[in-house]
Amino acid sequence: MNTTELDEAAVLEALRQVMDPELGCNIVDLGLLYSVAITGSKVTVMMTLTTPGCPMHESISWGVKNALLGLEHVEDVEVGLVWDPPWNPAMMTESGRKATGVGSF
Amino acid sequence: MAVSLPISAVADPSPARPVAAAPAPGANAPSVTLPLAFVLVGLAALLAGMGWLVVRPGILAAYHYNQYVIAATHLFVLGWICSVVMGAMYQLVPVALETKLYSQRLARWQFAFHVAGFTGMVWMFRKWNMEEVAHFGSAFAFGVVLFVYNLARTLRRVPRWNVTAAAVASALAWLSLAIIAGLSLAAAKCTYDGVSESSAVGPILHVFKSVAGFVARFDAISAMHAHAHLGGVGCFTMLIVGVSYKLIPMFTLSEVQSHRRAAWSVALLNLGLAGSFVTILLRSRWKPAFALVIVAALAVYGWEIVAILRARKRRALDWGIKYFLTAVAMLLPVSALAIVLSWPRLPLNAFTGQLENAYGFLGLLGVVTFAIMGMLYKIVPFLVWFGCYSRQIGRVRVPALADLYSARLQAAGYWAFLAGLAVACAGIVTSSEAGVRWGCGLLALSTLTLAVNVGSMLSHFSRPRLKPLTFQSSTVLKTA
Repeated sequence: MNTTELDEAAVLEALRQVMDPELGCNIVDLGLLYSVAITGSKVTVMMTLTTPGCPMHESISWGVKNALLGLEHVEDVEVGLVWDPPWNPAMMTESGRKATGVGSF
Repeated sequence: MAVSLPISAVADPSPARPVAAAPAPGANAPSVTLPLAFVLVGLAALLAGMGWLVVRPGILAAYHYNQYVIAATHLFVLGWICSVVMGAMYQLVPVALETKLYSQRLARWQFAFHVAGFTGMVWMFRKWNMEEVAHFGSAFAFGVVLFVYNLARTLRRVPRWNVTAAAVASALAWLSLAIIAGLSLAAAKCTYDGVSESSAVGPILHVFKSVAGFVARFDAISAMHAHAHLGGVGCFTMLIVGVSYKLIPMFTLSEVQSHRRAAWSVALLNLGLAGSFVTILLRSRWKPAFALVIVAALAVYGWEIVAILRARKRRALDWGIKYFLTAVAMLLPVSALAIVLSWPRLPLNAFTGQLENAYGFLGLLGVVTFAIMGMLYKIVPFLVWFGCYSRQIGRVRVPALADLYSARLQAAGYWAFLAGLAVACAGIVTSSEAGVRWGCGLLALSTLTLAVNVGSMLSHFSRPRLKPLTFQSSTVLKTA
């Protein structure tokens, strides 16, 4: 498969469909993604959550897999959940801050 | 060739340090059915208890050492508070402490013993049949043994021991002691005339008689108060304190500001309760000293909660957190009453008795119940969402937790509860049946708002609200 068939915009757009149900904001605007790597038809996502022991961790990991496996040309998705470096609100986008009521930095 | 995408939304997209791996997703996910069953039983008990007080307000307008107050108290404590706390702990302790529940099977068995035990106990307290109370109490206690064993084995798996784990362990220990004390009190009130020590149950009978003889050395009311403090302060207040250090930062996007301060609050609470138990039991003049140690523990806890809230990144507080924080603020009048009532030279008159009623009522309803109601607005939506939508996320648009219930009804419940608490407490202190009835009526109304919201959340199991995903650009999706 040609890797150019899967572009950044499509992956991020798909990941914007995955919402943190407690905060009511998608994981891209929350700044939970650390890296996304595309190798052929496989997408590897390294991400974190707002707090270790977040009760939503299983659901959000599933959401990332579901969203990416729905994309054309994606056959395999690996989600790596990491706590270091820890998430902080400065990682959020402006729209993420608005959606969650977090003040600016 | 691998293509790595920069994450444009992230301030620092490529972590400078190597990343530390988290547990695999799905490792700790418990079943949602059992916690929900505990919650529903608890809500039914709360509604029954509120209804009872509305119909019979006189039981709170008189001194509390009677069968009806004791039955109603056990309905609230075992039926409502213990049910919800136990169900929530099966769900939250593994999640919050990043481990897995030791045994779901044991938890299901405990549920059966719990429901049979507390309903029988409340009914038999009402009839003042202490032998049957002891029988049903033993069934309840067996359930608690299963609960404590299950949670203790779960705690042994905790990868990182912290102040929340220490508080949960302390609460389990105090709960066990409260149950032992309760059963001992029941044993002391039983008569053993019909059974011979030479029969098959003779050795057990001998133990019961020995326990009864030991408990009879103490003043009955003091022993009951000491037992109540083991449960109310040792188990429930300890859990509120310990769980706060995990949940308040989680829901307000903040952090514990001083782990040392948090640890001191739990340590002082343990010390103060140990001393209070002994001094209450012995009617010692040292009671105020240990009451002050507990108040100091709660002051340190309050100090840390204020620091956590000041450092929060999420400025707006939702109603669930407002319920919980208001309950925490209620510790102030409860602590003031505790110091007054611990005073050794306090005259033992009818007014003092009503102050004691108000102290217990405010502690169990104002602090523990209000805190639980707030946390139920976090726990039940999570359980329902997890059961209905966790496998759908990313495939279709699923509702957020706050979309599962009415925030307006939640706010109405908050104000009705506060008003009900004020009116009921005024009614209790002045021995006014009308005041107690109106106050408990408002509290019942508040409970109904919670019940309606819980019903609304549960309706998602039969009618999931799913919508198609909406993309802003021409993202290419697989065709079915």
